[in-house]
Amino acid sequence: MKRISIDPITRLEGHGKIEIFLDDDGRVANCYFQVPELRGFEKFVEGMPIEEVPRVVSRICGV
Amino acid sequence: MAKLKLASYWAAACGGCDVAILDVHEKILDIAAAADIVFWPIATDFKYSDVEAMPDADIDVTLFHGAIRNSENEHLARLLRAKSKILVAFGSCAHIGGIPGLANLFSREDILKRVYLETPSTVNPEKITPDPRTAVPEGEITIPVFHDAVRPLNQVVEVDYYVPGCPPTPAQIWNVVQAIVSGQLPEKGSVVGASEKTQCDECTRKKQEKKISGFKRIATVQPDPDTCFLEQGFLCMGPVTRGGCDTRCQLSGVGCRGCYGPPPGVLDQGAKALSAITSVIESKEEADVQRIVDQIPDVLRSFNRFAIPASLITRKVL
Ligand code: SF4
Ligand code: SF4
Repeated sequence: MKRISIDPITRLEGHGKIEIFLDDDGRVANCYFQVPELRGFEKFVEGMPIEEVPRVVSRICGV
Repeated sequence: MAKLKLASYWAAACGGCDVAILDVHEKILDIAAAADIVFWPIATDFKYSDVEAMPDADIDVTLFHGAIRNSENEHLARLLRAKSKILVAFGSCAHIGGIPGLANLFSREDILKRVYLETPSTVNPEKITPDPRTAVPEGEITIPVFHDAVRPLNQVVEVDYYVPGCPPTPAQIWNVVQAIVSGQLPEKGSVVGASEKTQCDECTRKKQEKKISGFKRIATVQPDPDTCFLEQGFLCMGPVTRGGCDTRCQLSGVGCRGCYGPPPGVLDQGAKALSAITSVIESKEEADVQRIVDQIPDVLRSFNRFAIPASLITRKVL
């Protein structure tokens, strides 16, 4: 099965890749969108004073 | 003269550093006149395979943003090191770990559990957590390995220059670009695009002798707009932070949180904050000092907001 990797996806914020599998006739058999990144804001802002949170979560995406 | 080859890459980053480069506005045309962009995911469509195909040391300067959080970040750090004559750790994340480095206060398992199983918005009845390799009917697909801890760029590869800031200011970025284009970069290993002084040295708020009799929070008390935050009892990392940003936060009505990293000669910004800020507490009575320090909410993440991975201990150890 032929495979096309789009790695990385560009001109957007963040990281992404796409794996496309082609069947013997060259038609798309399946396609996977993957997000190969994680920083863990959900965990590391827990218990932080509320007035500090905006200046931390603004670094989730600066675009 | 041949045009310079320039690359800009984000590892564990937010994209703010790339946008800060674009914030030089029309001067971006001058950059384009002096340099060819050979890799810049936010703005151009080159792939990792294009970088892999380049000869070693083909890129003149790579501006590397973002911390090293996973195996893809590490691979790109090594790849871009090999392909670049000059590698610049650009922005707090690459310089000292930055905001992603706060994750070093938690274990890898605790982070994955919180994100994929526990958050109120998560629906994951099969309790799936990320696997580096996943078998699918058509073959295998992979994602990077999430490391145990976050590292700044210089803990993974040799770094030639550091540009601090979260993000660096456009004015400082322009200074750095000019130094690169004119070949006037200082000694290797230098911090560029910042000053050699502290935030306090450059701060325009009214300062007298710093004596703290108690700490306050901006969530509950309105600070005076013209007086030093610390003298009013609001936390400010100015005494232990490198200058160069034109004191953007202090001018916006909030204390400095330290994104420009430690000033020259300071090894551990958080440890220095602990000694500098507690030493201006008015009382010398131990119980009194304890009572006042207890008023600082979240000492660990306040004193080490950006620099945990670059600190002496680097991460939670117990
Ligand atoms: S240093 Fe700040 S602006 Fe730059 S990528 Fe990291 S979080 Fe974003
Ligand atoms: S402690 Fe903060 S507010 Fe006070 S002078 Fe230093 S930088 Fe300015």
